Amino acid sequence: MSLAQLLSHLRALPEMVLLAGACALMLVDLASKSETRRLSYLFAQGVLLIAFCATLFVLSESEGKRYYIFYGLFVSDLLSHVLKLFAFITVSAVLVYARPYLHERGLLKGEFLTLLLFALLGILVMISANSFLSLYLGLELLTLCLYALVALNRDSAASTEAAMKYFVLGALASGLLLYGMSMIYGATGSLLFTDIGPQTAALAASSSSMRTLLVFGLVFVVAGIAFKLGAVPFHMWIPDVYHGASTAVTLVIGTAPKLAAFAMALRLLVNGLPALAVDWQQMLVVLAVLSMALGNLAAIAQSNLKRMLAYSTISHMGFMLLGLLSGVVGGNRLNAVDAYGAAMFYTAVYVLMSLGAFGVLLLASRQGAECERLEDMKGMNRRDPWLAFLMLLMMFSLAGIPPMAGFYAKFAVISAVVQAGQLWLAVAAVAFSLVGAFYYLRVVKLMYFDDPAGVAVPAGGGSARWLLSVNGLALLALGLLPQGLMALCQAAIRSL
Amino acid sequence: MLAEYFPILLFILVGLAIGVAPMLLGRLLGPNRPDPEKLSPYECGFEAFEDARMKFDVRYYLVAILFILFDLEIAFLFPWAVALNDIGMAGFLAMMLFLGILVVGFAYEWAKGALEWE
Amino acid sequence: MLETIVFYAFAAILLGAALRVITARNPVHAALALVLAFFTAAGIWLLLRAEFLAITLLLVYVGAVMVLFLFVVMMLDVNLERLREGFWKNLPMAVVVGGIMAFELVAMLASRHFGSATSTRVVPAGYSNTRELGRVLYTQYVYAFEIAAVILLVAIIAAIALTLRRRKDTKALDPALQLAARREERVRLVSMPAETER
Repeated sequence: MSLAQLLSHLRALPEMVLLAGACALMLVDLASKSETRRLSYLFAQGVLLIAFCATLFVLSESEGKRYYIFYGLFVSDLLSHVLKLFAFITVSAVLVYARPYLHERGLLKGEFLTLLLFALLGILVMISANSFLSLYLGLELLTLCLYALVALNRDSAASTEAAMKYFVLGALASGLLLYGMSMIYGATGSLLFTDIGPQTAALAASSSSMRTLLVFGLVFVVAGIAFKLGAVPFHMWIPDVYHGASTAVTLVIGTAPKLAAFAMALRLLVNGLPALAVDWQQMLVVLAVLSMALGNLAAIAQSNLKRMLAYSTISHMGFMLLGLLSGVVGGNRLNAVDAYGAAMFYTAVYVLMSLGAFGVLLLASRQGAECERLEDMKGMNRRDPWLAFLMLLMMFSLAGIPPMAGFYAKFAVISAVVQAGQLWLAVAAVAFSLVGAFYYLRVVKLMYFDDPAGVAVPAGGGSARWLLSVNGLALLALGLLPQGLMALCQAAIRSL
Repeated sequence: MLAEYFPILLFILVGLAIGVAPMLLGRLLGPNRPDPEKLSPYECGFEAFEDARMKFDVRYYLVAILFILFDLEIAFLFPWAVALNDIGMAGFLAMMLFLGILVVGFAYEWAKGALEWE
Repeated sequence: MLETIVFYAFAAILLGAALRVITARNPVHAALALVLAFFTAAGIWLLLRAEFLAITLLLVYVGAVMVLFLFVVMMLDVNLERLREGFWKNLPMAVVVGGIMAFELVAMLASRHFGSATSTRVVPAGYSNTRELGRVLYTQYVYAFEIAAVILLVAIIAAIALTLRRRKDTKALDPALQLAARREERVRLVSMPAETER
């Protein structure tokens, strides 16, 4: 192996930095005895910062070209760099929000930090996957960490039960995904998406029996993706896990893994099986409509905020799928950049909104008193006006009210659907988002027009409060000036 | 190629025979007059109070899981050892990295006290 | 010839052991019978020249997974009598499932396609599939191989984080702590004024 070949592997530098950093963090944390885990926390943030810079370095060095390393198992393109940068920012914010909450409850253990970093490594592997094998292994790495994170609060029966459900259903979904992959591998004889793409096109055209086999494999692959996204009818785990896990872990599950699930859908369907777009787009239509309907309707009936946000996740994933399913119209990909770009924009904005909404819940939770029921929101404005205002921004954005970023994200996705000629789908999406606006606005009403239920305790402060302000204002800014992020997303999609 | 395994088969057969033969001989040559009282379990002259089986401590579980993990690691060493001549330095370093990652895990569990039995 | 005899011997033992797994009254006996079944299955795989699979089955399943099974069986408080209640209630369903399976097996074995599936490829002398596996696993799939290491590492962390508990009520002694004790920590010398008799 020549030196140039060896150096080409440096395109995986962010992963290498993160792996080395996470291993080092395990050992650093052993040495730290303090309850606040100050050293481990700063170390983890440092690792994230270095990995972020490493990604920027790889990005600037690649000059917009695409590279395959590790015998094609790893792809390095603009899409992967952008998603990785998002993931680093998200996990860094998760750490800031979760730390005071976990510390107050005595749950801030070194394992939380290490498992979070390893989960992030799994996300990075998925984002850069160019093969069934690396995609699946990244997925297992991510979900294994998440199961453990949910169960980490082991004295809570609800958390243990949630972890159990998550694990069993997750194993089932992995099985479905692997089964589908094995069928496609059987038909094409390759694990690499770059080979499978052209192979499936030729096979699907050549014989109808091959096409049937491929479509069967596709069904299972789509089921696996839908499970990881939490799209109806593979959504059963989402409410229970969001509800049962401690709010800090819900924050972890509800944010960065969505980026990975988006990357997984994009790599598998758009990179790997573009020849079957007609088939998977139809499947995604069903998933999207059911998710938007059930997510928005069930969320109205919830009295628990975490459960409500869980159903809201389901509906938002349905919206995101709208973008993915309108890329190819009648066999040509003219609409692809707009549609997939809109889906990516939607995912990024959703992660930001979810980060903010759960961040507010974490900040408003006090020692011994969780803030997770709707009643806990009552009179929030009188207790803590600034926090209430930030929650208002999040709720407006989630509901898709202009001028928030959530509005523009919905607008971009729906216009992609209209361009694809699926007018009825666009009408349905608008109707369901109107239904959804009800339960988001109910939270706002409780905060501003109802009297506080208990004793008014102002929420905590510190760096989490500052970051939450930035988070809320960023949503406002992105709503007013969405072009920059949208251009970035579209450029990333073009690199695909 | 299968012929290479013939000694192992022979070994298993001889081992089995050596194990079974004394029991068989004892059964055939010794006196054997059981009655229900002789065969019933006893406990110092009393009827048995409870089942002889008792619940294992959950700590065994951790030991067993850690054992499985390192056992899997060994399973990866076999093809590596067989193919080492073909895969060269890169393959050697790949395994060293693999082992290095697991050594970190070993150091962690050791320092964490997971191997201690209070 | 010898190969055929060995195959049938192994197959008979395998079937007997598998039958024992589901008929044994005691779950520990069932687990031990499963060990025997795995062991003979490894022998049959060896006959098929799948050495790596055979050694993995022995090493991982017999060596480790079955040990875990036994631990779990011993850890749970299984009430044998309750477990066996209603065992025969499932008989009709079992007969249906077993019948369909038997029918499928016969249909598959009787079909004319069955014979053609056996490979007639000539294997070169000195061919070893373990080596072939090693050739690709540590070069072509090195990335996946290293991720597997990380997954094992996460399993270590998760297992420790979820099950390790410090006990407060144990009377275990730590010799290192005992040896580290110094006189100053144990003995306090107090100087007291001597009491004088009046």
